Amino acid sequence: MPTRPARPTTRAAGARPARPVEPRPSEQQRSEDDPRIMLDREISADLYEPIPPYPTRTEREGEFYTRGDGEMFINIGPHHPATHGVLRLVLKLSGEQIVDVDPVLGYLHRGVEKICENSDYYHVIDQVDPLEYVSSLFQEWAAVLSFEKLMDVEVPRRAEYIRVLSGELLRIASHTLYIGFLALDLGGLTPILYSFIERDEIVEMLAALTGARMLFNYFRIGGVNGDLNHEFMSRLGDWMSRAAKQTEADAALLNENEIFVRRTRGVGVLDRATALRFGVTGGNLRAAGVPFDIRRAHPYSIYPELDFNIPTRDEGDSLARYLIRVDEVRESIKIIDQCLHNMPDGPVMAKLPRLLRPRPGRAWGACEGPRGMLGVYTISDGSDQPFRFRIHDPSFMNLETVPTLLPGNLLADTMTIVASLDPVLGGIDK
Amino acid sequence: MPASGNPTVDPAAAASPGAAAAARAAARSQLAPLGPGELTAPIVVPNTLWRAANPLAYDGGRPAEITHLREFGLTDVGRRDDARWGALQIVPTKADYILDLIRANSLWPLLSGLACCAFEMMSGATSKFDMDRWGMFPFRASPRQSDVLIVAGTLTTKMSGPLIRLWEQMPEPKWCVALGDCTVSGGRYKRSYSTVQGIDRVMPVDVYIPGCPPRPEGLIYGMLQLGQLVKDQRGHWPEREIGPTVPDKI
Repeated sequence: MPTRPARPTTRAAGARPARPVEPRPSEQQRSEDDPRIMLDREISADLYEPIPPYPTRTEREGEFYTRGDGEMFINIGPHHPATHGVLRLVLKLSGEQIVDVDPVLGYLHRGVEKICENSDYYHVIDQVDPLEYVSSLFQEWAAVLSFEKLMDVEVPRRAEYIRVLSGELLRIASHTLYIGFLALDLGGLTPILYSFIERDEIVEMLAALTGARMLFNYFRIGGVNGDLNHEFMSRLGDWMSRAAKQTEADAALLNENEIFVRRTRGVGVLDRATALRFGVTGGNLRAAGVPFDIRRAHPYSIYPELDFNIPTRDEGDSLARYLIRVDEVRESIKIIDQCLHNMPDGPVMAKLPRLLRPRPGRAWGACEGPRGMLGVYTISDGSDQPFRFRIHDPSFMNLETVPTLLPGNLLADTMTIVASLDPVLGGIDK
Repeated sequence: MPASGNPTVDPAAAASPGAAAAARAAARSQLAPLGPGELTAPIVVPNTLWRAANPLAYDGGRPAEITHLREFGLTDVGRRDDARWGALQIVPTKADYILDLIRANSLWPLLSGLACCAFEMMSGATSKFDMDRWGMFPFRASPRQSDVLIVAGTLTTKMSGPLIRLWEQMPEPKWCVALGDCTVSGGRYKRSYSTVQGIDRVMPVDVYIPGCPPRPEGLIYGMLQLGQLVKDQRGHWPEREIGPTVPDKI
């Protein structure tokens, strides 16, 4: 990794650790107290250090688990109140300064891609829901876009409007949660309480529309599952009357907080070149000054007809990433307003056969989720199940930058940086 | 996985208890006998369902012939502290009859979100649903300070080891709530190769809350049911299934 700062190493790269790590003993021995009992051999306290109980497998692993002078390891996660799920970070510290970091993933690997490849096209939409579980409509949207390209399905305009409307609502819910959790990880308990008021309100109105609060299963190939109903519209009207004012007030709680600003400004600067090299998308990339948004760059649905801005910032630090989200909430409210004013009449579903058997081929569908580009690459072999269903998740690309951003910072800034990148472990581990 | 693995009884050596039994008898005789009706009257769980972390508790890990704890408490072996709840570091007494009333009204959950259901759990804890009204709010980050493990979200095979360790680190008395379809039975990941098909395969569960994910009201209702369960089980600790049921291979 080129951007990791060079540090003095006394040993050759790839050398065995200074402290030899024994493989975990498997032999049993007889208990001294009761000879009838066979015990595992006493395992030393080293097990609880984050050193893997096997010989190092790669050069990088050997480099990381070799301790220099005065360096120590500290393990964060997978159970930790501030890791946004079951992320595990092994930090190598020198004093209070982070020298190196080894992220350990896979604690939420559920094999979704494999399940999708064994489901037919209608069922895939349900199966991808729990990946991006904070904003599951976008994951459905990516899958549906890919399938519609594969099958040349024309989506009715009203369905497109409903998709954009519900999607932007969920984007606001996701961003308000982001703001709350960022503050929570910095030690402020209050913003999360306001965030969940907004999130619950949005999710309840989507529950009136879709029937579920979280895993919606609402989008269909060629449309959406149901038309707008009265309860949704009345809840939406109530909320829209105060949404702009309320979100401004919630943001002001942090914007004007000196502790928050001083703990995020200049922390974890993700520069433009690094972000592009790692494939970072979404708000994290726009905070680094690149105005890349799938809604503009590769337009889909009705976004070309809508009037909205792509907010960008140049700093690339944690504060910029937070402010981008605040700006995007404003833009989303604008989009919702336009959708409500221009909503056409008509059907919400295209006519499709019961069993979908697309021609052999491949299709890439991508949409702009709250965390960046959510993509799905489908390969069809002519049967009713996708031959290959590849999910590109933006959280994974965003989290990839953590080993670059963390070294040089203090231990207390770990959570600032990780939270400001907004990872969702469901999408990362799939 | 726990540090000390599961002990296995060697059938060849089972016939000769040897000098260890005599040593234990000598140690037993040094303990002061308890008077009748003392607060520390022992209550012991028969070890038929699970294996203790310390294999020497429960008289060498044998399945107990005595099923009623009161009988066991009257025997000499039963008077030993480590023979009762030694492995669990707890001695339930008649005082617990009162204490469980307090516990039932102040169940402190562990903040352990695994996946999607964690957000509904947090939603239940924050402004709108506010579980604090029933004394359930303080989501503790440390297992040492919590009473209830709410397993919120899919439990994968890789995460099951850390989760079992969390469960073992929680002090008794403790309860477990399975939140969501994935933890109840496997749910939508019944076909997956990498998930645990229901957390009752790895730990005892007191309350199951189905739903994908359940609404926060569902969680609150489940926690109220758990409070009722705690009240109902006062004085019936023997019937409770406690301790980790850790299989060799998950």
